[in-house]
Amino acid sequence: MSELDRLRDAMRATERPDATLDLETVMRAGRRLRIRRRVAGGAAATFVAGLVGVAVVAVGAPGPGGPASTGPAPSVAEAPPSAAASASASTAKEPTPPPTVARGVPGPKPLGQVIDTGVQQGTDRRVYYVVSVSVPGVPKVTIGLAAGRRAPDGTLRTDILVNDVAGADRSPGFHQIGYDERSSDAPVPTFGYFVGPAERIIGTVDGRQVDARMARWSMNKQVVIFWFDPATLTPGERLDGIIARDRAGRRL
Amino acid sequence: MARGDAEFVEFARAASARLVHAAFLMTGDHHQAEDAAQTALVRTYASWSRIHDDDAYGYARRTLVNHLVDRWRRPMREYPTEEVPEQRRGDVADDVTTRAWLVTILGALSPRERAIVVLRYYFDLPEAQVARELAVSVGTVKSTSSRALEKLRTAAPRTADEEARR
Repeated sequence: MSELDRLRDAMRATERPDATLDLETVMRAGRRLRIRRRVAGGAAATFVAGLVGVAVVAVGAPGPGGPASTGPAPSVAEAPPSAAASASASTAKEPTPPPTVARGVPGPKPLGQVIDTGVQQGTDRRVYYVVSVSVPGVPKVTIGLAAGRRAPDGTLRTDILVNDVAGADRSPGFHQIGYDERSSDAPVPTFGYFVGPAERIIGTVDGRQVDARMARWSMNKQVVIFWFDPATLTPGERLDGIIARDRAGRRL
Repeated sequence: MARGDAEFVEFARAASARLVHAAFLMTGDHHQAEDAAQTALVRTYASWSRIHDDDAYGYARRTLVNHLVDRWRRPMREYPTEEVPEQRRGDVADDVTTRAWLVTILGALSPRERAIVVLRYYFDLPEAQVARELAVSVGTVKSTSSRALEKLRTAAPRTADEEARR
């Protein structure tokens, strides 16, 4: 028997057919999640962040160049959370659409300066900006990071919004990381933010190290926004790990 | 087509054991496995009315895998892979030994490799589907799978030797 056969057999032989979960608890939590999604869906814009799938309401006026309101509320994401932290504006009857953000729609108003990555996508420029969010039951999360595009006329359109869904958004260390979902004509370079004195951020993928580009948030210099050049890290490709180093090269 | 709670319960009872076991294979930890499977079912139930009849299991599986991948995606985490699971009532020595062997050799793999091994060889998914579900290229699935199997070939004799010495 080959090692692969042995592995297959072992994986099946060790199944526990009697393993059960508390389905009452599952359904209770599922109902709560459904309600949170509905609540969020009724607001101006709805985003579902990746880690635990909690619905988040983006707060604030539309971005510069956007319409007076953020338009009709997108329906609530009910696709499986993808490996990317993302949000969805899927329509109601799609079977299992990939969770995408409210792609290509006007987004909430940026807080502080919009960071221009210099990455040209068609006639648009790839930009990142911090926005206000509100996560039900998580009062210490008030900001999220949006990946968007700025058109030549200055209009901002949001592609992906990521934010924490637990804890505090300004706690030291890495926060939610956003990955492209391959459902856009403009792939979103992998991005996120780190809180602390990071001078270098390095991702690893398949044993390869990739340096991120960085910019500090204009409203809080401890917040380091980073993204990976699409030429060095294919948008959507998952990182195996990521670290930050300070000026002296120490790992943070 | 909307479906009711009774159908979900029937589905969850049928799928739970396999989801928990898949999560165990990916994490090497029973508690994490149960938490992950429960999270997958919660999200599946929350979306139940939108899931097509033939896709519920695939939806739950994708949700489970992505939930675990989400955790790895954050700054480096370590999973206890050397833990020998508790012995359950009715376990036989062979079962315990096989499980310990499995935990040890899977513990030699990176999280990504484990996920690919579980999707390819436990769920028997084709490479293209594994690539879609993990949002990586087919080439990455092939190379990672190959690397993982090479590690298994290296780890297996060592594990067998250790067992023999016991």
